[in-house]
Amino acid sequence: MTLIHILVFVGIAAFLGLVTSDRWRVPFLLAVSALAVYVLQPTLPIRFLDFWLPTATLTLAILGWVVTSPPGQRSWRENGPAAAILGGTVLALGLTRYLGLSLPLTASRPPQLVSVLALLASLSGALLLLGRTSRSGKGLLVAASFFVLALFVVLKVPALAAWASAGLRSLTRQSTELASALDLRWLGFSYIAFRLLHTFRDRQSGRLPAVSLGEYVVYVVFFPALTAGPIDRIERFISDLRRPLALTTDDRAESGKRLLVGLFKKFAVADTLALIALNNVNALQVRSAGWTWILLYAYAFQIFYDFSGYTDIAIGIAGLLGIRLPENFKAPYMRPNLTQFWNNWHMTLTQWFRAYFFNPVTRALRTGQHPLPIPVIILFTQLMTMVLIGLWHGVTWNFVLWGIWHGLGLFVHNRWSDRTKVRFAALRPGWQRCLNVGGTLLTFHYVALGWVFFALSDPGASWQVFLKLVGVS
Amino acid sequence: MSDEIIVPLGKYIAAEILKQSDRVLNVDEPLISSGLIDSFHLMDLALFVEDTFGVPIDDAELNAQTFDSLAQLATLIESRR
Repeated sequence: MTLIHILVFVGIAAFLGLVTSDRWRVPFLLAVSALAVYVLQPTLPIRFLDFWLPTATLTLAILGWVVTSPPGQRSWRENGPAAAILGGTVLALGLTRYLGLSLPLTASRPPQLVSVLALLASLSGALLLLGRTSRSGKGLLVAASFFVLALFVVLKVPALAAWASAGLRSLTRQSTELASALDLRWLGFSYIAFRLLHTFRDRQSGRLPAVSLGEYVVYVVFFPALTAGPIDRIERFISDLRRPLALTTDDRAESGKRLLVGLFKKFAVADTLALIALNNVNALQVRSAGWTWILLYAYAFQIFYDFSGYTDIAIGIAGLLGIRLPENFKAPYMRPNLTQFWNNWHMTLTQWFRAYFFNPVTRALRTGQHPLPIPVIILFTQLMTMVLIGLWHGVTWNFVLWGIWHGLGLFVHNRWSDRTKVRFAALRPGWQRCLNVGGTLLTFHYVALGWVFFALSDPGASWQVFLKLVGVS
Repeated sequence: MSDEIIVPLGKYIAAEILKQSDRVLNVDEPLISSGLIDSFHLMDLALFVEDTFGVPIDDAELNAQTFDSLAQLATLIESRR
């Protein structure tokens, strides 16, 4: 999201929060969010893909609703207007091709109207057929989960993404020699996929609330949280969406303050730190250990202020619409151990992994017929969870190493805490404060060293930076 | 909120999770958000609740938003009995 996007979204949110009646809240949010999916999509070199990918996002959201809603709740009368808004948005954007103006609504000129109409007709037919025939059973939910995961893998594994790009290029009669993983930059897909998977899983466990098509799609593509989260839970989001909109001046002032803090963090602090933050180029240029540490510290604070700034912006804009998005960061660098760091860093993502991976796997291993020793279970679950969180960012060796780094750190802290918690609890408050300060410094440096894997593209470059940090290279 | 739920819960957390049998937990003391109970011990607590009180706790509910104190966990258990 650029500063201009943010300012436009703030204006729209403030206007909608002021004038929208409760009845029109979902339709307006649906139209704006659907439009935002196209507006925020970056330009792609494959012909018309930057139009088709946002269309695929909306299709996936509708598909998610079809497979999670009970057949009795799919009435056309209730959900037809939302379907018409979505179809109308796609069609209207397709028609901008003939305006002769370059509007900033789509990344490039939309495809020909006949292609848009053909796609809309076939998608509508397929979704209507699925809606009429499917019973939202477990098989369908599992199939939908695998489909979303398969898409995720194709987009995140560079070799598969390049292969998919070559396939799409041959369809559009473009040079396949230029195929690259960067051709498939699908805006917000990582977050959208995890929202969809959350609803699929909660539908299976019977915890998903009954929601209309409009509410479901607004949840999946809610424009303030489209590009950088947070990953809200649908039952919490819907309860805010259904609550009568009664914002006070204090509520608006609070959201405005949050927004300003976010803008300052992102555009003043993070973007300034980015000038000296560790990257593949400056990692080769610096020679001394001191400068390498400065680059690393700059990166550690840049990534925090960038990401938490975006979260503040999302929370601020959503607040103007009466939606309280969940917190994603709570002073993570001020935590005395790695476990607490992860309870306060990208909280909605870690909560997602706990709910749908860590807890089920731990439960299965603890209650199985031949339970493994506790330390083995802890090591396995912590490592797997953190490696998967690493892979969520991208399927590269460096993200795997970053996951292993944190998985091992969490395991060591768990074992250490288990052995020392009784002894430390008996210490005087003064000593406990000293331990907390020491723990905070140690945790920050452990996390900062982990960023070496995150900031650089390959293990060789990361190793060289580690050597420079200890003054060997 | 009955002592029949609060007392065994408090004793279990103090003895098995915090390893401090003598510790008396306040019913409103934050357990998860404060870091007192980590994610691994949270599963221990869920298994204890399921075995002792016979109420299910879903894996997706093991977080501070669903319950963060003895009082909140006891209310959750009571509502499902």
